Amino acid sequence: MTALRSGIRRTTLALPVVLFALLALVAPGFLAPQNLANIIGQITALLIVSLGQMLVALVAGIDLSVGSVMSLAGSLVATQADPLLGIGLALLLGLLVGITNGLGVAVAGIHPLIMTLATATFLQGLAYLVLPIPGGQVPASLRGLVSSTLWGVPQPLLWCALCAGAVGLLLHHTRLGLHLFAVGAQARSAQLNGVPVVAVTVSAYVACSLLAVVAGIYLAARVASGDPTMGANFGLESVTAVALGGVQLTGGVGSVLGVLTGALSLGLITNGINLFGISPFLRGALTGVLLLAAVCAQRRKVVGL
Amino acid sequence: MPAWRRLLRAALALPPAYAGLLLLLLLAAAMRPQLLSAMLLPLIARQAAPLGLAVIGQSLVMRARSIDLSSGGVIVAVSYLLTSGYFEVSDATAMGLCVALGLVVGVVNGVLIVQTRASSMIVTLAVSMVLTGIVVALSQFRAPGDAPEFLRELARLRVGGVPLPVLVWLGALVPAALLLRHSAYGRSLDAVGSNPQAAALSGLPHLRVVFAGHVASALVSVLCGFILVGFVGKGSITLGQDLALNSLAAAILGGVNFGSGRGGMAGPAVAAFMLTFLFNFLTSLGLGEPGRLMLQGAIIAAAALVYSSRR
Repeated sequence: MTALRSGIRRTTLALPVVLFALLALVAPGFLAPQNLANIIGQITALLIVSLGQMLVALVAGIDLSVGSVMSLAGSLVATQADPLLGIGLALLLGLLVGITNGLGVAVAGIHPLIMTLATATFLQGLAYLVLPIPGGQVPASLRGLVSSTLWGVPQPLLWCALCAGAVGLLLHHTRLGLHLFAVGAQARSAQLNGVPVVAVTVSAYVACSLLAVVAGIYLAARVASGDPTMGANFGLESVTAVALGGVQLTGGVGSVLGVLTGALSLGLITNGINLFGISPFLRGALTGVLLLAAVCAQRRKVVGL
Repeated sequence: MPAWRRLLRAALALPPAYAGLLLLLLLAAAMRPQLLSAMLLPLIARQAAPLGLAVIGQSLVMRARSIDLSSGGVIVAVSYLLTSGYFEVSDATAMGLCVALGLVVGVVNGVLIVQTRASSMIVTLAVSMVLTGIVVALSQFRAPGDAPEFLRELARLRVGGVPLPVLVWLGALVPAALLLRHSAYGRSLDAVGSNPQAAALSGLPHLRVVFAGHVASALVSVLCGFILVGFVGKGSITLGQDLALNSLAAAILGGVNFGSGRGGMAGPAVAAFMLTFLFNFLTSLGLGEPGRLMLQGAIIAAAALVYSSRR
């Protein structure tokens, strides 16, 4: 795995390390074990979603509907008494959304931003239909999967490791992973070389939506109830995290380690805001500024959309 | 080719907005005729004015293969500037400050999109996030108050039976249409949209065209903000949040697609009215916020699908 394909530069790796050191020195109570456990719990959802966003970014796409998918998945799980039914419905939803997005982008030729924006709006309406106001009750068995420790390791860490491991396996040890890089780097060449571009693109979007569903279920289980706007910020935050992690939004360049560092950086910044007592309402503004900085640092030839 | 066939062809080539509006009016006549009354139609037109204005700005940038989704943030910021009394200035100065803010936002958008070549959707969404975040944070200290009297009057007045906001809309529409059809900027816009590389190689100021489009779009958002604040009567953090997506839907329905604009300025204007009428119709049928959002998403996807299949 060369540096060219992973997109990891010294600044990418340095950012979370510098942030950690800075916060350890300056912020009160940062190194307390409770705070560190909080950080892990908070970035898990973002990490899982960002892994999915990376897969789509690898094929030169983007998925803004992950936020609405998360909200809808969380709402489904919170309104179904049987956890298996809730999870099954949510996964089916993820599959359908992913296929729709993928077909719209790859077959109909709709720009991914427009397609996923349309899907996001539609699914947000559906989420309000399923759960009009925050509420619902997540089944206890599900809640038990996120809040305690298993063999001495906090469970959120296990969720992170599982998802990161699965995506890493997909990218570096399967043919699909190789095809993802190929399609993102130069779709036309890949097609001429026999790569099924449409199938690969649809798979990327399906994987992204499924990971968003997992993140939504995790978040709902953590909060123990449903909220139809739970995932509202995660669309743009996941794009920020992958952009900070060296993943090129023009396709072909990215890695799991990059996403890890990006999500970690974002999580540390948020934690720093909380510890310093800055207004939490400024968090949206700060994410916006970070997104601008991360996106402007990437090089592109096309002007506009 | 016989004349009726030519006419049919021309009718089929029209943007979906015209057919959609016709269908909608027929449905309304059958199911909710009171929506077509002389009392309600001007009110619906008045309600459509901010969307109509936003669509003008959106179609300008869309023709240059860009997009502007920052209107939500700009409108919230304008609403806060006008109503919170943060600065102890007169109403006119506050409105001037809003125009200055619009200029700044447009320039920031334009510079980031043109210089760093970042994706315009992400840039404008991020700028909207930043503006909304700052306003929400400031609102904790100083809540938004009442709108200036001048703007409230503007929203209420009628000239010859036509609501003033509609006249403002038409007043912006006609010059924009003329600009597009007869000015050098309009021609450059068409050229840049249909083939940016060829336009740049031919010596057209490609980057300046996109930049100017974004500045114009931001200023138009400020105008929308003025009208919306006048409608509601006081400042609000949730003002104009769906204007960005609706302007995108209306622009696509009106025949403007990324890089091309076959509907002129009339198509998007008709589409803006059609969407507003549609939302009023759905509300009268009892469909709430969930249904509205689902329909918005479906419309954007369907319109984009129609246009990509026509290419």
